[in-house]
This record gives sequence, C-alpha cells and structure tokens, in this order.
Amino acid sequence: MAKITIDGIAYEVDPKLTVIQAARDHGIKIPHFCWHPKLSVAGNCRMCLVEIEKMPKLAIACATQVAEGMVVKTQSERVQKARNAVMEFLLINHPLDCPICDEAGECKLQDYTYKYSIGYSRFNEDKVHKPKRIQLGPNVMLDVERCIMCSRCVRFADEIAKQPVLTFTQRGDHVVLTTFPGTQLDNPYSMNVIELCPVGALTGTDFRFKARVWEMSSTESTCTGCARGCNINIWVRNNEILRLTPRQNEEVNSAWMCDFGRLQTFKDVNSEKRLSGPLMRKEGILSSVGWDEAIAAAASELRLFKKSEIAGLGSAYASNEDNYAFQKFMKDVLGTKNVDFVRHLKEGDEDAFLLRADKTANTRGAEEVGVKPGEGGSNIDAIIQGIKNGSIKALYALEDDIAAIPEIAGVLSNLELLIVHSSIQNETTAAADIVFSSSTYAEKHGTLTNFQGRVQRIRPAVVTLEQDRALDGFAMSRWDKFASHNDRWGRPIKKDARPSWRIVSAVASAVGGKMKFNSADDVFREISEKVQAFKGLNYQKIGNTGVMSKTASRAVPVV
Amino acid sequence: MTSQNPTETSGKTQWDNLILPSTPNLHKVETYISHGGYEAFKKALEMKPEEVTDEVKKSNLRGRGGACFPTGLKWTFMPKQTTKAKYLCVNGDESEPGTFKDRQIFEFNPHLLIEGTLIACYAMGIPTAYIYIRGEYAKWIKMMELALADAYGKGFVGEKILGKEFSCNIYIHKGAGAYICGEESALMNSIEGERGYPRVKPPFPAQYGLWGCPTTINNVETISNVPIIIKNGWEWYSKIGAPKHPGPILVGVSGHVNKPGVYEMPTGIPILEIIHRWAGGVPGDKGIKAVIPGGSSTMVLRGDQLEGVKMDADSMKAAGSAVGTAGLIVMDEDTDLIKVLTRLAKFYYHESCGQCTPCREGTGWLWKVLKRFEKHEARMQDIDLLMDIANNIEGNTICALGDAAAWPIQAMIRRFRDEFEKRVVHAQAGTPESVAV
Repeated sequence: MAKITIDGIAYEVDPKLTVIQAARDHGIKIPHFCWHPKLSVAGNCRMCLVEIEKMPKLAIACATQVAEGMVVKTQSERVQKARNAVMEFLLINHPLDCPICDEAGECKLQDYTYKYSIGYSRFNEDKVHKPKRIQLGPNVMLDVERCIMCSRCVRFADEIAKQPVLTFTQRGDHVVLTTFPGTQLDNPYSMNVIELCPVGALTGTDFRFKARVWEMSSTESTCTGCARGCNINIWVRNNEILRLTPRQNEEVNSAWMCDFGRLQTFKDVNSEKRLSGPLMRKEGILSSVGWDEAIAAAASELRLFKKSEIAGLGSAYASNEDNYAFQKFMKDVLGTKNVDFVRHLKEGDEDAFLLRADKTANTRGAEEVGVKPGEGGSNIDAIIQGIKNGSIKALYALEDDIAAIPEIAGVLSNLELLIVHSSIQNETTAAADIVFSSSTYAEKHGTLTNFQGRVQRIRPAVVTLEQDRALDGFAMSRWDKFASHNDRWGRPIKKDARPSWRIVSAVASAVGGKMKFNSADDVFREISEKVQAFKGLNYQKIGNTGVMSKTASRAVPVV
Repeated sequence: MTSQNPTETSGKTQWDNLILPSTPNLHKVETYISHGGYEAFKKALEMKPEEVTDEVKKSNLRGRGGACFPTGLKWTFMPKQTTKAKYLCVNGDESEPGTFKDRQIFEFNPHLLIEGTLIACYAMGIPTAYIYIRGEYAKWIKMMELALADAYGKGFVGEKILGKEFSCNIYIHKGAGAYICGEESALMNSIEGERGYPRVKPPFPAQYGLWGCPTTINNVETISNVPIIIKNGWEWYSKIGAPKHPGPILVGVSGHVNKPGVYEMPTGIPILEIIHRWAGGVPGDKGIKAVIPGGSSTMVLRGDQLEGVKMDADSMKAAGSAVGTAGLIVMDEDTDLIKVLTRLAKFYYHESCGQCTPCREGTGWLWKVLKRFEKHEARMQDIDLLMDIANNIEGNTICALGDAAAWPIQAMIRRFRDEFEKRVVHAQAGTPESVAV
C-alpha cells in the first residue's frame, strides 16, 4: 500500500492505481471526459489535471500512477484555473444546441459547464463547422460538431467490441470522427458508444429526438433478451418505454449490453398487438370478457378433465414468481404431473462476450422453481406426443408463443381446451380458447435467474390498469410528477394486464385450491422457503445487482 | 542553400567544419572512407559498448533537436537486460519553420549520419534503427537511400558487421507530411503505421517505445556528432565552443540577411556575429527589429536585446529564449511582426494533431484572434486574451506542440506589446465586452 495525500487527507491506496482511480475509490471526484474505468487511458481531454507536489506542471490524474508520499491537490487555484481553461477550449467550437440536443440533461459537458466553467464566453470568432447526421452504422448516428474527440467510442470499438472501425481523420480543430472506408459501426454492441459519449455526438437512431431526459422515469431492471440478464434501466415517458440503457454489474454485463436486447426486448411492451383484458372463444370467435368471467370459465373448464388429461407449460420468458405459482397450481391444485416448458436455444447465435444461445431470460429459474414433470409425468416431448395421440386434452400455457414452434402448432387443434397467458396477440392466442392478458416484464415485480444462477430483479416501469404510478411507488419523471391533467403526458394509455402469478392464483382459487398470494414478494417468500436454490433469499438481499442462487456454480465465467 | 565554411570565428581559432566539411563528393562512400570515414565506427567496435556511451556522456554532447538534453545520459536510460527488441529512431523530420540543418547532412554528409547511427546502436546494443525523414524531403530521402545502400554494400550495415558479433539494420522511413511526427512519440506511432498522435508520458520511450519496446530517439545532427566524439575523444570535443553545451552546431540563418544558409559554428558564438559576419548582415544595412533564435517556436528576441547573446543553451536561456534547433530568423526594422506572428500561429494551428483539448482548440483560436489584429479589427482586451489563451495552452498539453504554439505569442506580446496596441481598432467608445453565452 502507498500512503498518499489528496486535498490534505491521507489515504492508503494500492500503488498500482492511478490518481483518478485512487481518488474515486475514496469518493473524491476528479472531473474527466476521456477517462473511463473500462477503457484504456487516452489522456487527451486534459480535464483531470491536478496539482502534484514536486511536479513542475499539472499532471493528468488518469495517467499518473500514485507513489508513496504523493501529495495531490484537486481543488487548488491552479487546478481550477486549468479546468476553466479546458472547459473554455472545449466550448469554443461546441455548438450551442443544448435545447435540441438529446444529451442535454445527462451531458458531461453541460454538467461540467455549470460546475467548472467561468460562465461566459470570450470567443468572438466563427465556430468551426463539421458534418452532421452521419450514420456510423445501423443504430448509431454521429454529429461531428458536438464531438469533443475524447476517443471513448474509438477505444470501445477497438478494445471491447473488437471491431476497430472508428478513427479520427484531419487535424487540429478540424478533427473528424469517422469509420474506415468501406466499414460501418455494426457490431452487436455498437450502441454502447451512445452512453460512453460524454456529449451528444453519438445518438441512437432509434431514440433520437424522442424525448428529453427529464421527461422520462428510469427504473432498474433486467434485460430479457437472453439468458445473460444484463442489468438495465428502463426509460419511460407517458407510460411508454422509449429506451433501455445498460446498468453496471461487474458480475454480469460489466457496463454494457447488446443492441438486440436494447432495441428489441421492449418493443413487445409498446406493441400495438398488446392484449388489454382477457379473451374467450364464444361461438368460435375470441371476444373480450371480464376477468371474473374468464377466471370462472377457466376454472370450470379445467374441472372437466382428468388430472392426466391436463398438461401445463410454464415459460422461460416468465419470472420465477410466475413459474412457481404456475407449477404449484398445476401440481398441487390440478394434480397433474405433466409440467414442463419450451427451451429456446439458438445454437451458434452466441459469442464470447455477452450474447447467449439461450434466448430466454429464465430457463434456469423455471427449472429451479419446479417447472418440470412430476414423478411419472410427461416432459415437453411426451406432452406433444400426448396431445397428438389424444391422451392430453387440455393445455395451460404460460407467456410463450408455443404455436410458433412447428411440432406444437401441428397438434394444437387436437386439444379440447387451450388456456394461454400472453401479453400480445400471436399464433398461440389465436388458437386458444381462453386468453389471459399478462403483464410484461416491464409491468411487474419479480425475479429472473440468469445462466450463471444469478437471481436478479425486474421492476415495473410501466403502469397497468390496476396500478398507479405514484401510489405504487414507481419511478417518476418530472412529467409524471408535475404534468397537469390537460397535458398530453398526463393521460397515459394503461393496459389491462395482470402478472401471471396473480392470474394463476385466481384461477387456482376458483378451482378450489388454496393459493393466497397478494404480491410478487409473497410468492418469492414462499419460493425462498420451499425451494432449495432460493433458501434465505429475499428481494432486499437481491437488491439492484442480484445474488447467486444456492445451487449456482461459481465456475460460470463472468465478463 | 549550400553549406558555408567560415575560416575564422570570433577572431580567435581557425574553424574547420566537422559535420559539413567542404570536401567535394563526401556523400560518396568511397570519398567518405578515403577521408577517414567509418574509422570511428571501427574504433567503437573495439571498445566495450558502455565505454562508447561513457565517451558520449563525458563529451557533454547535448541534443540538437531542440531540448538540449544530454545525449549520453539519454543513452543510459536504455535497459541493458531486456527480453524485448530495442530500437533507435533517428529524427530527421525537421519541419519547424526556420529549421533546415538536417537536410544539409542528408545531402552533404550522409555517411556521417549512418556511421553515427551504427555507433549509437552499438553503444546501446540495438539491432535496428529507423531514420525518419519528412516526406517533403523526397530528394534527400533518395540521397539517404543511396548512401545507405552503399554502406550496406561496403558491409558497414547488416549482419555480423566487419566480422564482429554486432549486427545492425537501418531503415529509412518516410514521413507523410505532418509536423507533429517530429515529436518523438508521434514519430514512433508514425513508424508503427498509426496516426501521428503523441503519446502520454510516462511511460517514456526507453521503457515503452516503438512497438512497446525500449527505444531511443535522437536528432540527425546529434547522431552526426557521435563519430566526431569517438574519433577525437571526449576531451577534445568538450573543449569546442561553450563548455556546458559544447561541439559544433549547425545554424540555419534565414530572413533579412544577405547570405542566408546553414553555417557550422562552435556553440557559444554570438548571434550578432552570425548575422553580421557570416550571414552578410541585413540588406540595406537596416536595423534588426527582432530575431527568432532557434526555430519558430523559440521566444523572439528584440533587436536591441541581442548584444552578448550567444548560441548556446545557457546564454539563450539567460536572454529569455532557447537554442532550439538553431534556426535563426532575422527580421529587419520594417517587418510587420503581427503578420509574422499570425503566419506562425497559422502554422501551429494547421499542424496541431487535434488529440488534446488545449492545443486542438487553442491554436485555432489564437490564429483567429491574430487575424483580427492583422486586419486592424482587434480590441484592446484581445491582447490580454491572446496572452491568456497562450498561457492556458502552455504546460497543459500531451506534447510540446502546445508550448511551441504558445511561446512565440507570449514572447511577442511581452517584448513587442506596442505592435499589438497599434493594431487595435482606434477610438472605439464602448467596445463591447465579452459576449455572454
């Protein structure tokens, strides 16, 4: 350990650290643009200049290693003057377009301007003009005028995404970020450069100009794009998800997520195909019905079948709570042993970084909470076979478009009863007799177990009909808090959907079983009592970054 | 411009050129050998490598690339035990306005440079050397390539040289037109095929240089001094010129003089003597308004400040400037210094690599403000603004280009403030203050 002094306070730090790292470890923030804990040191922005005793010049904290006895000053007059100078230099050619810039509100340059700038401009010349609206790749747009040449994106492409296509051309204040000829930024992780960019130079083609940052609420959740379970934030305005951003979790996704997860997983939540309220087949046509009617009908229909004639398919897309309640209903209430779920492995569609071949978020969790055949019961293949040969006559399927799978689609017409939970219209709902509109992952509390065995939280970011943003403790944006009733933000569309565990519990009660769950927390409490893998866990312990389930092997590689 | 050969200096000793002797056809390897060429290298090969380094160290040779860093000391920074490759880069990117000395070596004494390179490599145990020459020197690159081929032909370069264990290959590397590639770490990036961006130091080249291996970078003229030291011994060499900065120095004289050119002198020669005695004085016998003594980045000196100022590191420092590359730019009393400075600022703006903030943004700003001075459109407070911008760049950048851009401006304002005041828009009541964002 090295003894150093920062701003008059002595610290013992690892001598391998740089000044900026050592300071950060002790809660001292040294302003910086180009430095990023996950990337190599570039040292180009000069914002982290600090005074170090015995050094004639100011030194950049990002590239200066600590040394025994080092005395660092991060607030001296010289340092502050240098920060003022760097800010002034950065701003002279930076466009004054904060009012139309997507980054405004979460812009390092803007924040530092308030904190470290002199507050007015001494620049009376013409600003340099550079290309705008450059499509760097399918998902990323570049405005070179806003670029401060920190090279974070270049380093990300080189070092993390391993697609070294970004570079600078030209010199001086004419430097331009660009792709090498004949290449584009189209790696599976390209959109991470958007958050890395400390200014509004890199924006997402998808999100661009959709919202100001403060109009959105941000909710901590988990991506459902694959079995990795990258930690994310869900950004919502007017009850509509506008973007997902990665949230740091060293054990899972470091600070990144893939473009697929970012762009595709929330589309179903906002989809125009969303179901709102249950449906029942009446005279051959699926018609809207009330919850009570649908629940009563499901219960009475299910009673008509023998235990062995009923099969249940849980879902690797559904939460642990949903799957637990479901298998309990199937096994304990209806008494069938024919319980399993469909795996969605896309062999080959994976990489050595984040992407997993398992395209569902909760395969491991579904197995662990008991979505598997009871003793002597049928597994998925046997269930399909049973439907085919008529031994299984009623199927209850949770949150999975099973009809999109050819082997299953071919046999569904043999069924006498098909009950489905789904959040959107799909081939399965089209074939169903009763459809319950279930909440998406963005509308409910719950947990998912990723491929490592890490149990992670999902939280509601979008309100459904039965919820209230303020009363139910949702994350709220400025609009949510302050919009008036005649504001268009004040009248969000709410879907009539319920979490599967709640629907299943209601059906179970209607059948005559005992399933009294009032909240996802209730379900999880029972899981933690009954299921070995979850022993001793609770939502509080899982927190924002998750915990390993008791059966998890530590040997699973992390990023 | 051809090399001049002054026959007397300071009225005292006879001066025979050591780096640029007047021997005809010295660029040919046979001529070079018949005049004692490669003897120093042979002598060095009989010495232990550390003895060679020691000789250079004791000679007090200081780098001729501008920083005057002791060469022998620099060589000792190279690790003796290392599993990595080691490299020598010879910096011939000379691109500073007012500097054109290395070109004379390429043209008139290329083998001296090659011999010096070999000795340096031997001293530091380096098997590979790159001679980096600016791309604009197409003619001189060709000359160096021919000379190098001859040296290979004679067996001075290559494997197991002269039957000894020592092997050394030398490559000529062409620059692609960027001043910044004369900065040693940008030069290494350039050789590696990367963008010419200076590197953040530390790590220093001796630890982490070319391709991450220990590397020494020396200027062409510095390396050309090495055979002279080895041949004549450090004691002899250290007595030439100024004791603390000894040896011959190539002074490039340009601007308002009758005989511009490169003059080889002992260090410590008074600059007025260079101008009046060797460079033929100022045309029309005009007075000297200003002199930039060591290439455009060194601080300008007033014409009435030149008495007693000598061409060596200490004297120049005392006078408030630097030897730099000894590129002497003379400006007569009718010179428009604002125009000069604006042009220099434009050069540094054009050549800023754009990597780090203060230089990237500041050099352009300086030039834009100076353009307003040039057009009589500046305000009085712009003088202090210029100074402030320069001060904000100086010392805060990755490499010395920022300093090089700042120094001429700081010095010009400090020493010729009246020139700026004359260019301000006259009698403007209520000149607008800074415009708020």
